[in-house]
Amino acid sequence: MADITLLALFEDIDPAADAIEKLRHMGVTDDHINVLSGAPIPYKMLGRPHPHTNVSKLSLGGAIAGALFGLFLNFGTPNMYYIPVGGQYITPIPPGLIVLFEMTMLFALLATFLGVFLDSYFPNYRPMEYTPEISDGKIGIFFKCAENEQTKIADALGVLGAETIKPVEAQQL
Amino acid sequence: MAVLSKYLPGAKKAREDHFEKDDPRQYLMHDPIPRGQMNEMVMESMHVTSWKFWMVFGILSVLVAVCFFYAWGYMIAEGLWVAGVMRPAYWGIFLVNTVFWIGISHAGTFISAILRVFKAEFRRPFTRAAELMTTFGLIQAGASIFMHLGRVWLSYWMFPLPNQRELWPNFHSPLMWDLLAITTYVLGSTMYLYLPLIPDLAMARDRSTGWRKTFYRILALGFRGTEGEWRHLHTAMNFFAFAIIPVMFSVHTIVSWDFAMAMRPGWSSSVFGPYFVLGALHSGMGAVAIVLFIMRYTMKHMDYFIRKEHFDALGKLMMMVSFTYAYFIFNDYIIQWYGGNLATDNLLHWLEEGPMSWMFYQMILFNIVIPFAVLWIPKVRQTPWLLAIVGLLINIGMYWERYIIIPVMLTINNMPFTWKLYEPRIEIYLTIGTFALFLLFYMAASRLIPLIPVWEVQEGQMAHTMRKIGKANVSTISDFE
Repeated sequence: MADITLLALFEDIDPAADAIEKLRHMGVTDDHINVLSGAPIPYKMLGRPHPHTNVSKLSLGGAIAGALFGLFLNFGTPNMYYIPVGGQYITPIPPGLIVLFEMTMLFALLATFLGVFLDSYFPNYRPMEYTPEISDGKIGIFFKCAENEQTKIADALGVLGAETIKPVEAQQL
Repeated sequence: MAVLSKYLPGAKKAREDHFEKDDPRQYLMHDPIPRGQMNEMVMESMHVTSWKFWMVFGILSVLVAVCFFYAWGYMIAEGLWVAGVMRPAYWGIFLVNTVFWIGISHAGTFISAILRVFKAEFRRPFTRAAELMTTFGLIQAGASIFMHLGRVWLSYWMFPLPNQRELWPNFHSPLMWDLLAITTYVLGSTMYLYLPLIPDLAMARDRSTGWRKTFYRILALGFRGTEGEWRHLHTAMNFFAFAIIPVMFSVHTIVSWDFAMAMRPGWSSSVFGPYFVLGALHSGMGAVAIVLFIMRYTMKHMDYFIRKEHFDALGKLMMMVSFTYAYFIFNDYIIQWYGGNLATDNLLHWLEEGPMSWMFYQMILFNIVIPFAVLWIPKVRQTPWLLAIVGLLINIGMYWERYIIIPVMLTINNMPFTWKLYEPRIEIYLTIGTFALFLLFYMAASRLIPLIPVWEVQEGQMAHTMRKIGKANVSTISDFE
């Protein structure tokens, strides 16, 4: 039997959390559930596994790359064309700290920004499973189940307060 | 007159005025409406445009064309002799504008980042309006620096690239620090503006047709609001909120070092860094008050999102910043006054009694005396147009402060035979041009970008509840972030 993707829409967090619990009891694993919302809802409130993100690691990587670039600008470039000026250091440390700080922060911020793009697969203009009611404040639970279980699951979620339960297909956003 | 009539007796009451004094619904976080309705209100505020809007837009466009592009082009073609900068004041209004606009840009970061870090809930409806000021202010600051360069086509000499002789720019110069700090701040604040905008662009995409649909579809990047997307966005925004604060401090401190690193009367001061940062926040807060007032009274439905409570909170911030600013200005003044250096004494006497003393006294009056005198009063803080006037006066005062620091302090130096008052020429047109361009950008953005971060408002409203403790109902906030 082929799998089908269903969308259950909820008004509030509590029935949505109960519905996710129910889906698990009915054999739908967390891998096959995706929750969409118009405002961020902490995963703990919905009883969902902690979503993994690489953004902070990328930020750290960016900061290290930026620090290295700052070191190069500050200590590398003056030595590439050596110009001694009476009594002045070629590579003084105090002004170097400013360059180091700015480059570290710049690269860290850029890497964080790019991290969101990489982790979220942005930009993504392909057809996707979605309904505009999500941005109207509804909580959408997308889940995959066997086609013959559709009615049973829909009835169970309906009892828990789902406003609509319908099959969805990928569409152009 | 049409705007003023709103404050006359019998005029239409603001939304929050309809509630009793103790009714929690007078506060945005306790007056929730369905998200769909909120979306519609924000979309309508972008789409409904009166002829007055287009008239102002047209006037500003002409001003930008003449005072910004034409005047700048003329100066490029003719050379810097058409400007008033000459010995001893080689730094004139262009750098005054640069410092002023960087100051304005600090408001966005302060309101959005610092208040986000400290979870100050009143920030929610106006973070974006403040962040936009940061980005647009920095564009004006950048343009002013390029104007000051004169031979603008050679600006790439400052880029971190070697020339034909493999000689790199000198990164130990405060001017290079400026380039690096401002570049970091422009890029950082633009990214920080864009990230929380993505969910609202997705909301606008879902409610648009035609070219707007395509526009929002491209900018929303395919955002749907999945758990992963929110998590990545949240992590990034948290990082940005923490990281952009030291960047903000560094930018205006480095700008202050352009002056403080020189051994000149009036400039060489160890408190210039924090003094400049505080000055920037002072003018930025004032500018936010003006923008919020204009938004509330010119854009549809904004009286739901921007309320007296927000002006009140902003007024308190302005008062606090004004106190701290007074402390720094006195600290800077008293040390120079006590120092006994002849050139500094001459400068201080000249400021107090010379031809520019009116500017000096207005600076004290607008930046310290008036905010001290009026912002204590809750009624003033909660009256949008009064707070906007205080904000406007603060900005005039802060502009005078920068004018005093740059051309005036350059005039009175260690060589009295060079003393000559700076007289701006084409700079006046270019200043008008930068102000017009800032307003034009803002007006265009108000038609294209949701100025209210709807999802942040909804998140706040979800987190706020009333809880009965003893016999009183008190506001309670759940930690949603």
